[in-house]
Amino acid sequence: MAKPIPRTSSRRNGRISSRKNARRIPKGVIHVQASFNNTIVTVTDVRGRVISWSSAGTCGFKGTRRGTPFAAQTAAGNAIRTVADQGMQRAEVMIKGPGLGRDAALRAIRRSGILLSFIRDVTPMPHNGCRPPKKRRV
Amino acid sequence: MAASSFLCNFLSFLLPTKPPPTKNPPPQLSATSSTQHQTRKFGDRLVPLVAQEGQPSSTSSSLSTELSSVIFPSLAYANTLFFKSAYNVQVIVDDNEHEERLLNRFRREVMRAGVIQECKRRKFFENKQDEKKRKTREAAKRNRRRCAHSSQDSHRKTSRIPWQTRRKKRIIGIYLKEIFPIERILLNLL
Repeated sequence: MAKPIPRTSSRRNGRISSRKNARRIPKGVIHVQASFNNTIVTVTDVRGRVISWSSAGTCGFKGTRRGTPFAAQTAAGNAIRTVADQGMQRAEVMIKGPGLGRDAALRAIRRSGILLSFIRDVTPMPHNGCRPPKKRRV
Repeated sequence: MAASSFLCNFLSFLLPTKPPPTKNPPPQLSATSSTQHQTRKFGDRLVPLVAQEGQPSSTSSSLSTELSSVIFPSLAYANTLFFKSAYNVQVIVDDNEHEERLLNRFRREVMRAGVIQECKRRKFFENKQDEKKRKTREAAKRNRRRCAHSSQDSHRKTSRIPWQTRRKKRIIGIYLKEIFPIERILLNLL
């Protein structure tokens, strides 16, 4: 195969590049992934292209504090603040995973003033697929 | 259209109740309810006709939306409700719903679907022994709950009273049946 042409990749920090800042998105989807150790909140458009994201870790929490509901709340608030001034009015919420951040993030989203259309739980459920790791003996 | 005649029969059953149940055999005809907790896999994008009051549907249907919503109330939603992603629980939000109530509703639906319990179970591998233990525990809990539930309702008169009282009641009943046939009809209602 021919060698791929080297390209300078645009700087990615989880946000779209600044020249697309003028894009007004009235409707979007907020994905909340709430695991036991962390909560990640991603705001995308209806097609799934990411607009902005934030997580408990990026909000300054470290270690076990990332999994707390308060951290989820700040992460959600952070993510929505960037997007609210892009003019997002309605949003759907997709919640994934078990974790303490589920309710707290939902509360923060609700309080932020964005109108919600649906709240969906999209936790992936295997139909008895891969074998999970062995039990912990702590 | 065979589908419409099927729908007419279906709707006459559905109309007195609230938004139609989710267990519809043809997947395209399942209209939304305020909560849906089955895994669904459909093709197209959801156009939230229900959530946005007063906004016209953007899909092209042969009937206008207003007409179809009068004739076939559930068919009005059928074209628009194909969901892109599979979900376990869905809660449709009104705009003026209180925050706590929304949260409680969501939590209740999630608990009914058993999402968090299932996640915890699948986190680590469970060998056959553990699985058997868990299943017996769940069965015991379910049976206990069912016994406790039904004993309050209607099983009191046959199962709780002693057999002597039951026999006496039966004899009296037979006596009354012979003498006063009308009493028999009234007693049958008890």
